[in-house]
Amino acid sequence: MAEAFNFDPDKNYDEATMEQQRNIEKEISANQALVSFQIDFDTVSADYSKEDETYLGKIQDLKIKYKCVRRTRGDGNCFYRAFGFAYLEQLLTNQVDYARFKEVATRSKDELVSLGFPQFTIEDFHDTFMDVVEKVGTPCTTKELHETFNDQGISDYLVVYLRLLVSGYLQKKADFYQNFIEGGRSVKEFCNQEVEPMGKESDHLQVMALTSALGVAVRVVYMDRGESGQCNHHDFPEESSPSVYLLYRPGHYDILYS
Amino acid sequence: MASMEKRLQKELLALTKDPPAGVKVDSQRICTNLSEWTVDLEGAPESIYEGEKFQLMFKFGSRYPFESPQVMFIGEHIPVHPHVYSNGHICLSILTYDWSPALSAQSVCLSVVSMLSSCKEKKRPPDNAFYVKTCSKNPKKTRWWYHVLLNKVERNSVNMYEEERPCDMK
Repeated sequence: MAEAFNFDPDKNYDEATMEQQRNIEKEISANQALVSFQIDFDTVSADYSKEDETYLGKIQDLKIKYKCVRRTRGDGNCFYRAFGFAYLEQLLTNQVDYARFKEVATRSKDELVSLGFPQFTIEDFHDTFMDVVEKVGTPCTTKELHETFNDQGISDYLVVYLRLLVSGYLQKKADFYQNFIEGGRSVKEFCNQEVEPMGKESDHLQVMALTSALGVAVRVVYMDRGESGQCNHHDFPEESSPSVYLLYRPGHYDILYS
Repeated sequence: MASMEKRLQKELLALTKDPPAGVKVDSQRICTNLSEWTVDLEGAPESIYEGEKFQLMFKFGSRYPFESPQVMFIGEHIPVHPHVYSNGHICLSILTYDWSPALSAQSVCLSVVSMLSSCKEKKRPPDNAFYVKTCSKNPKKTRWWYHVLLNKVERNSVNMYEEERPCDMK
């Protein structure tokens, strides 16, 4: 039996608690790739116990509609990483959209600076982001892109830049987005607290903002405990024809392939 | 590591060339690989700290700018402020949970100056004695609880064993 815990009011437990948190994070990064290889749905089924009929049923539903999955690391940045990889992977074979996207991405830095982001910190992230965009335009393979996204030094720069784009877009459209923000915070406070810091998870607002900022349509397929037997989905923006498919399980985004 | 040094060089240059009012980098006290800085602060005119001189220490880890720098007041003169403990530790959300890689040493200096300038009464945090006695040397090893005054956004549910450190954001 575990030793009984006796709380000592004269002791500070902060360090021990944070140590434990860090160990959990270490374990996650040792066991989960930032972006995995493609895996089939039977491998996803193995995440759940045999008795879990709701989820296993939904995986069967996904299996009919989609080919496979790529997992992303559960580090709070999964939405940005999943979106970034899935979209750039598309662009490897779509030259028309590539040209459009490259222009949007190039322009984006000046827009952020005009919104008040400090040029000298933004520059680094934008430069790295553009390096990867350039690379996608030269003959580049999925394997090379996959390696780039698993190089944490580069991959995290990409995540930061996508976070900044979301923050910039929300602030630019603050009048509209203010209506969705809870807790009496301003849009800027929300961005400072929930968007710009690494590891903060994404919700509808961030998904809406990133897809609008970059002009990319995304379908999010929800796998939850709902009883319908099928996975619901939502397209951002509504009634668009999506080019990126993401699988959402409570608290986490992975990539889907159709 | 190389990218961290490049970034710090850029930051140092910007802060030396164009420092916010009341901020001065002590270039004598920056170690060769740039991982430790000392910054001189002066209380803003017309604030209750007018004319007082303080020193901030910055320590940048190898994961900077993805992880926040360790920042605290050092030296003989620690400002008496509701968010500054007498050992120099500062309760400021951008130093932990709200840190973003797009922030910089300069934005930290600005936040600290503004935190001092907006203060109306010189007093220590209510839990100063307990905290100073039990905390780690590194303020980043403290689990800070931040509250937004007025609208009470709780950042986490408060653990019953947790000594609450009551701090306002910004």
